[in-house]
Amino acid sequence: MNDGVGIEIERVTHGYTPKRGRPMVALDDISLSIPAHEFHALLGPSGCGKSTLLFLIGGFQKIQQGRIHTAHGDVCAPGPDRGIVFQNFALFPWKTVIENVRYGLEKKGIKGSEAEQTAKHFIDLVHLNGFERSYPAQLSGGMQQRAAIARTLAIDPDILLMDEPFGALDAQTRRIMQEELLAIWRATRKTVVFVTHDVAEAVYLADTISVMSARPGRIKRLVHASFNRSEDTAVFKSPEFTDMVEHVWDMVRDEVDEARRQGH
Amino acid sequence: MGVLRLVLRMSPVLALLAIWYIATSLGMIKPFLLPAPQTVAMRLWRDIATGQFALNAGLTMYRALMGFAIACLIGVPAGMLIASDRTVRWFCEPLISVGFPMPKIAFLPVFMLWFGVYDLSKIVMVSFAAIFTVVAAAEAGTRGVDRVLLWSARSMGASRAAVFWDVILPAAMPQFLTGIQIALPVSLITAVAAEMLMGGAGLGGAMLAAGNYADSPGVFAGIVETSLVGLLAVGGMTQLRRRLLRWHPEFNPR
Repeated sequence: MNDGVGIEIERVTHGYTPKRGRPMVALDDISLSIPAHEFHALLGPSGCGKSTLLFLIGGFQKIQQGRIHTAHGDVCAPGPDRGIVFQNFALFPWKTVIENVRYGLEKKGIKGSEAEQTAKHFIDLVHLNGFERSYPAQLSGGMQQRAAIARTLAIDPDILLMDEPFGALDAQTRRIMQEELLAIWRATRKTVVFVTHDVAEAVYLADTISVMSARPGRIKRLVHASFNRSEDTAVFKSPEFTDMVEHVWDMVRDEVDEARRQGH
Repeated sequence: MGVLRLVLRMSPVLALLAIWYIATSLGMIKPFLLPAPQTVAMRLWRDIATGQFALNAGLTMYRALMGFAIACLIGVPAGMLIASDRTVRWFCEPLISVGFPMPKIAFLPVFMLWFGVYDLSKIVMVSFAAIFTVVAAAEAGTRGVDRVLLWSARSMGASRAAVFWDVILPAAMPQFLTGIQIALPVSLITAVAAEMLMGGAGLGGAMLAAGNYADSPGVFAGIVETSLVGLLAVGGMTQLRRRLLRWHPEFNPR
């Protein structure tokens, strides 16, 4: 793939009509350029269309207006160049952990012992060794999400789409998963689009944050990480970090109020 | 240990048997209205020893299970199709709404007219009675598959056709099985009911004959025989569910 191009979003507008009610504009004329290898967070109140934007990049929903393209060309359908991790894990509950991880490999034509080894490698990477033969129902939420991340990394996508992946986890597990995700990202340098409504999470993880407005969803501001994002977890206590969280939170607060007025 | 647990679980049945025994042995009820349990047990034993039970139960099972299998083989794909195709749904939904609460056994004279008085009409009757539950469960199961499962598979490179086999079928399996589990006793009931209306061999036919000859031990033995067959079929189905849904939270308490 040619370096540099990550995801180009050009003038995307997206609406929907609820079962009962008037048509709504979820995304209003969004343009956004995400360079390759960047960790990009989409931050905003619930109902601002950030997940919709992620699903459009994933090719899961039809783009109504505008275009999105990646190094692989225009997005028109889901594909293994864009892996996705969902909030509720979306593991196949009838498959064991290793069968889940192997699924995408087999779809790529990787079979037998090679698939087994690759799957093992990614299961080790997310620290799930020993649970290869467990069914998702036998695992905790954190472990299920680890399995889902391993499954997505195993197909080696250029782009990793994450829809509030740690939103369903408890606070301690969330913090550990954030650290591990950063370590994996540093090692693999995939382009990451990470949807969240947690300001501290966005500031901790992302190179760039798109702060989105309440409906209709627009990108209000782009914020670049201003502090030294070292591998040191003490970053949470540094004044640069807390300043930036405050700074971003000020931008989000108005939107949260607006979203609340809209009834979210 | 296992025997003790079985006895404990069956104690309500044993209690009912005890009441039945006491009531009849004290002469509170005329034996014609309610024969003593030991009389019914003797009749049951005689039916088993003479091979009557095996013959009648086998015939009833054959009709019930054939009709049931046809209902499943047509009903599951039909339900999946109704769930996934808007035109098919538009066409079928009103038909199902009308058919679902209908007393299906009312069609027996029609099926006798069309398919004769032997096995075929009974099997068709069973299929017709059982298929509505199967279709409805298959449709609901297919529609209830979480879209993120479908999206996950697609983003890992699965084609639309592959998603059907790889995701929809296993994801909806618990509901398919629930529909099938309800359809199985419906099949048995319908087979016995059809036999009782049409006469001839089979558990229902034997009970009809016993009734006609005022043979009340025969009627009660027939009831017990029918329950035994039903218990066996439902127990087998539960085992099948356990085996197919080993992965399901239902069998994986955490």
